[in-house]
Amino acid sequence: MIVSLISLILLCPLAAFAVFGLLGLANRRFPRQDYLSTAAMLIALACSFLLLREVVPKPEAHTLNWISLGDVTFSMGFYLDSVTVIMLIVVTLVSSLVHIFSIGYMHGDPRYPRFFAYLSLFSFSMLFLVVSDNLLGIYIGWELVGLCSYLLIGFWFEKDSAANACKKAFLTTRVGDVGMFIGMMMLFAKFKTLSLYDGETDGIFTLAANLNTGDMVWLSIAGILIFCGAIGKSAQMPLHTWLPDAMEGPTPVSALIHAATMVAAGVYLTARMFPILTETSSLVIAYVGGITALVAATIAIVRFDIKRVLAYSTISQLGYMMLAIGVGSYVAGLFHLTTHAFFKALLFLGSGSVIHAFHAMHAHGHDDEHAHEHNEDAETEHVLGSEIPSDQDMRNMGGLRHKMPITFITMLIATLSISGVPFIFSGFWSKDKILAGVLGRAMEWNSAHHYILFVIALLAAGITAFYMFRLIFMTFFGEPRNQEMHDMAHESPLSMTVPLIVLAILSFPVVNTLWFNKDYVKPPPQPHLHAPTHAQVAPDTKTGGTGFALSIFGVSEAVAAEEDAGHGTQDAHADDGHHGHGPAHTIAMILSICVAGLGIFLSWLFYQRRTLSAESVATTFRPVYNLFWHKYYFDEFYDGVLVALTVWKARLFAQFDGSVVDGIVNGVGVVTRDILAAFVGFFDNRVVDGLVNRVAQVTWVVGGRIRRIQTGAIQTYLFVVLAGIVLLILIFRAL
Amino acid sequence: MTLQHYLVISAILFTLGIFAVLTRRNAISILMGIELILNSCNLNFAAFSRFVTPSDDINGQIIAIFGIVLAAAEAAVFLAIILAIYREFGSIRPDEVDTLKG
Amino acid sequence: MEFTLKTFIFYGFALMTVASALLVVTVRNIVHAAFSLMVTLFGVAGLYVFLQADFLAATQVIVYVGGILVLILFGVMMTSGHFEMPRQIKSRIERGQLLLGGVVALALFMLLLTVIANTPAWKNLIDDGTELPPTTEKIGEFILAGEFLLPFEVVSVLLLVALIGAALISRKEVRD
Repeated sequence: MIVSLISLILLCPLAAFAVFGLLGLANRRFPRQDYLSTAAMLIALACSFLLLREVVPKPEAHTLNWISLGDVTFSMGFYLDSVTVIMLIVVTLVSSLVHIFSIGYMHGDPRYPRFFAYLSLFSFSMLFLVVSDNLLGIYIGWELVGLCSYLLIGFWFEKDSAANACKKAFLTTRVGDVGMFIGMMMLFAKFKTLSLYDGETDGIFTLAANLNTGDMVWLSIAGILIFCGAIGKSAQMPLHTWLPDAMEGPTPVSALIHAATMVAAGVYLTARMFPILTETSSLVIAYVGGITALVAATIAIVRFDIKRVLAYSTISQLGYMMLAIGVGSYVAGLFHLTTHAFFKALLFLGSGSVIHAFHAMHAHGHDDEHAHEHNEDAETEHVLGSEIPSDQDMRNMGGLRHKMPITFITMLIATLSISGVPFIFSGFWSKDKILAGVLGRAMEWNSAHHYILFVIALLAAGITAFYMFRLIFMTFFGEPRNQEMHDMAHESPLSMTVPLIVLAILSFPVVNTLWFNKDYVKPPPQPHLHAPTHAQVAPDTKTGGTGFALSIFGVSEAVAAEEDAGHGTQDAHADDGHHGHGPAHTIAMILSICVAGLGIFLSWLFYQRRTLSAESVATTFRPVYNLFWHKYYFDEFYDGVLVALTVWKARLFAQFDGSVVDGIVNGVGVVTRDILAAFVGFFDNRVVDGLVNRVAQVTWVVGGRIRRIQTGAIQTYLFVVLAGIVLLILIFRAL
Repeated sequence: MTLQHYLVISAILFTLGIFAVLTRRNAISILMGIELILNSCNLNFAAFSRFVTPSDDINGQIIAIFGIVLAAAEAAVFLAIILAIYREFGSIRPDEVDTLKG
Repeated sequence: MEFTLKTFIFYGFALMTVASALLVVTVRNIVHAAFSLMVTLFGVAGLYVFLQADFLAATQVIVYVGGILVLILFGVMMTSGHFEMPRQIKSRIERGQLLLGGVVALALFMLLLTVIANTPAWKNLIDDGTELPPTTEKIGEFILAGEFLLPFEVVSVLLLVALIGAALISRKEVRD
């Protein structure tokens, strides 16, 4: 049952893509690719829900040996636990909705079928990544989603910006992937296997748990290197620069790949590798995540491109998740991953709806549209280096709430959710749990720099609320800033609004929180992360959570028993639970509500009441503003240092190549041609040819002479015979 | 009349036959030379039969008879070949029939 | 050795044989040569008689003179109209050929003479003049009922094959 379900989930999208490959390329276009791909995703979605019921009690694994090389066997298989299934549902659900949305959004695009084929391929790759039980499978899926990301960012490759963005995305993530691959190889070198879980032989997790303390440095390095892959894929600092540029792709792609699923794969990977994380690698992950969360949020404040704001918001939220994993709040991280997937997809699709509204006013195909857009880009290229397409520029929007009520309401729900407005929105719960986890960890360790992490997270939360409401205010409230565009705007068709509504419903905690109680999703043990002191938050939270979960899901006794026998670290993270109490959680909750309220209030002051002027603040804090505007000069740094260095290095090598290598090659060539070849040629002509010719000549002459003997005259022969006889007799007589 | 008389006559005939075969420019003359050679052989057989073996042993004569028969067969084939050559080359001069010349 | 009539006749035959043989190899006219050959063959037949080989002498006359010589004459007539050889030896090659042939023949002759003169077993074998009974009956027994039956049959087959072959080769048109 499970195998057939998982096969269906994987094969449906693959088949949809294959149909495009077989039919679409042969016929140039297969017009109903959209329905096919959507149907495939819906089947996968249904199967995922069925799978949820199958897998809840206990994890399920199926492994096949794939390649045997000497002593080493690479296996392929899947491992299904609650997290995997939740990821499956998130991916298939968001993917299905994005498919449906795209039917409206991409309508009329010249490469319409291809778009859906790519989406199908992406869905397959992502699902494959999610269910793989070994690092090799994960890596394959990892690179495949990278490929799909590349293809889809560059979907409108006529635009230079899109073509550049897809290259940038591909190359930047590849930097991280190299680290990930080295990390994989380190693990492989140590354990001689790439499968994570125990099968016929022990998996990496079991083997890693048995390592002694002497190998901790090594394990830390491996963990950090694998995290490098996540840094690239999840757009963490310092490899985050590709994600904002990736907004050049179609908006549904941004929603699916660059908000909900693919970028979350990094978080998922880190969560998967949770058991091998050591103290050092956890700390690195936490700090990278925290800094990313704050930096990206500050950049998002000053963006005007609606999609860029969301892109930086995504980076920031991903940093949040990393932070959660880093401080050991495994469940909180994954919880935030799912909630974020829904409300961020919703935000992107909503922005897509807005953009579509502006697009559709021209009522031509996307083809002309983008050509037009491109020209505009060139004209309005911003002084500070940012290009904002006019239909994505928030300064052109405003007052859209009457024109597009559904879009407005759904986006508002998502914004409230991401901002952490308490209690009725899912984002609050997940973010709150992260904050609680960070604070709990800080309290456990009781050191200043862990409190810094909490401060960072809190700040980021406040800023998030601020810029998200800035987006809402600028887009939907106030007076229309561009009357012409405003007049043309209209509500999107049904195929686009339905996914918005579904996602809006999913942004309420009913669905998400049911999944994420700590008995359904349990953090795996972290044998190498030893809490210095036993957590003070642990004891009272445990029993309550367990009881609640047991009552709801009827989880087996075995699970509860396992919990009781759980590791110390697990107890320390017990505040992960949905119903966690304790001082950390309370403090975190109160503070998070405060900062969210503050952020929303400030945003309201700036952009709605206009009591405060954003411009004047920007002028006052010009250096800070510039820093944010220039995105902390990351791109400039990369251009100025890395790219310049590379170019300089390339020039140097070219020079080296031109002078030394070519010189050597040419010198060798000259020596060979003028000296060796001349000598060899001389030798060949005179000696070898001479010898050959002489032999031929001698043979010719001798043959010419000897030929005469063959006179053909019978009498001559007879004469010779007789003369010979006479001579022989004479000779023998003489003897 | 000793054996050597016959042998000398035979030797003369043989030598003349060889000379004819070597020098004559007509195939039929060569045939005649060959007949001379065969005759000298037969004469030798008869002579040895008479002088060396016991007088009632005439095996040498019988061999000579066989030689005569062979000479007849040889002459027949030889002349047939000469006729064929003559048709082919229009000549029976042995130095003109030199297709096998190298 | 006394010089009797018998001796005289023997020398006569010997001289006739050698002289006519010399003519055979020297005369230009090929028909003359053929007739000289006939004389030679008769001479040899006479020598056979002296060797008490009466059947052999008869066979020599019948087969050679009656068969082979006629065959040769027919060959002469069927191949060329002019029986005369060119009178003058023009080319140097021909002269050289004549010279070399003569030298080789002479050398061979000298060799044979040396062998004849120096072989001790052949010395002093004198024809005692004993008369033998006619050999015909004896030869007939040997050939038809004795040890020579098989060679006789083989020779007859050979002769047959030779004749058929000669007929085939000398046919005017060789059909496929």
